[in-house]
Amino acid sequence: MTLALHIPRLETPRLILRAPEPADFEPLCAFLTDPVRAWGFGVEKDRPTAWRWFAANIGHWALRGYGYFTIELKETGTPCGISGIWEPEGWPEPEVGWVVYDGYEGKGIAYEAATRAREWAYTDLGLTTLTSNIVPGNDRSVALAERMGATYERTYHNPNMGEDMLYRHPSPSALGLDTDSDGSPEAYA
Amino acid sequence: MTRTVQIPRLETARLILRAPRVEEFEAYCTLVASDRAAHMFQLDRPAAWKEFAAELGHWPLFGFGPWHVERREDGALVGAVSILNHDTYPETEIGWHLYEGFEGQGYAFEAATAARDWAFTERGLPTLVSYISPGNTRSIALAERLGATLDRDARGEDATDLVYRHARPAERAAQ
Repeated sequence: MTLALHIPRLETPRLILRAPEPADFEPLCAFLTDPVRAWGFGVEKDRPTAWRWFAANIGHWALRGYGYFTIELKETGTPCGISGIWEPEGWPEPEVGWVVYDGYEGKGIAYEAATRAREWAYTDLGLTTLTSNIVPGNDRSVALAERMGATYERTYHNPNMGEDMLYRHPSPSALGLDTDSDGSPEAYA
Repeated sequence: MTRTVQIPRLETARLILRAPRVEEFEAYCTLVASDRAAHMFQLDRPAAWKEFAAELGHWPLFGFGPWHVERREDGALVGAVSILNHDTYPETEIGWHLYEGFEGQGYAFEAATAARDWAFTERGLPTLVSYISPGNTRSIALAERLGATLDRDARGEDATDLVYRHARPAERAAQ
C-alpha cells in the first residue's frame, strides 16, 4: 500500500517552489503564530497548532494531490514564503494562496510564486478555474490578486476565516494556457 | 519530484491495517465530533479535517503515521491505530480508536499489537508510549493488556495525561 505524493519542483527566474521539508517548519511557525502578519491567512495560536498546520499541509498534498509549496529564494536557498493550491474541508473550491515571510515583501516574490503555482494548477493538474479567498481589509492581497488578473466575485462565510471575499482568476484560456501544440485553442471543443 | 511513501500493510488473524482513504474522513469526522471522543478531543468538521490531514502527513515526514483497520471477513472499517509524533508529544505515541459497534471484540488489542511490534522491529523506534486521560478506563485497560506500564516520571502531552510505556520486544520476552 503506497501513499503517492506528487510534489513537483517548479522554477521561476528567482524562485524554486518545492515540497515542504521538516526544516521549513521554523520560519513557517514564526509566520503562523504572528497575529499581525498572519491575520489575513489564519493565525495559529501557538507552536503546537502551527505544527499541525504544517503536517496537515503534507496530508493535504496526499489527500488532494496539491497543497502549499515552500518558496525558496534561488540566490540564497532560503525559504521565503509559501504558495500553492489549497482546498481544506469547508472551502468553496480550490484557491491559489500565497504568503511571504518577514523581510521578503516588496520584491514581487508572492506574484512570481503565485503566478507559477496557478500555471501549474491549470496546465499540470488540469484545473479549469481558480479562486483566491481574501479577508476584507487585506488590501495587499487584493492588490496582488488584481495584479494577477483576478476579479471580485462575492463575499461568503468561510468556516476558518469568517467573512471572506472570493476573487476569481482568469481561466486557462484567458491566460493562453490551454492552447495545443499548433496553437489552436480548444481544438477538441 | 515525485515522492512515493510506503504505508506498510499489516495483517493479523482478523484484521488488516492499511493506508487511510480520503473517503474515510466521514467516519473519522463523525467519531471525533461525538461524545465517544470525549477522552481524545472533540473537533468540529474543519478542525477534524486538519487533524486527519496532519495525521496522514506523518507518513512522509516520519515514516510512521495512522493506519485504518479493516475487518478481513467483510472489509468493514472497525477503527484506526496511529503512531504519531505531534510537536507537543515528548515521545512518539501509539493510539487507537474503534468506530461504534466494534468495541468489546478485542480488535483494538489485535491492531495495536501489530502496530507496536512493527514500530519496534521494522521501524526501529527506540521508545513508544501511550498518552491516556485518567478517566479513560478502557484505554488504560488496553494499555495494560498490551504490557505497557505506567511511567510516573514521564511527561505527557497535557499535565494530566497518564503515560503508559510500551516494552520493546526483548524486554517483553524477559518479563
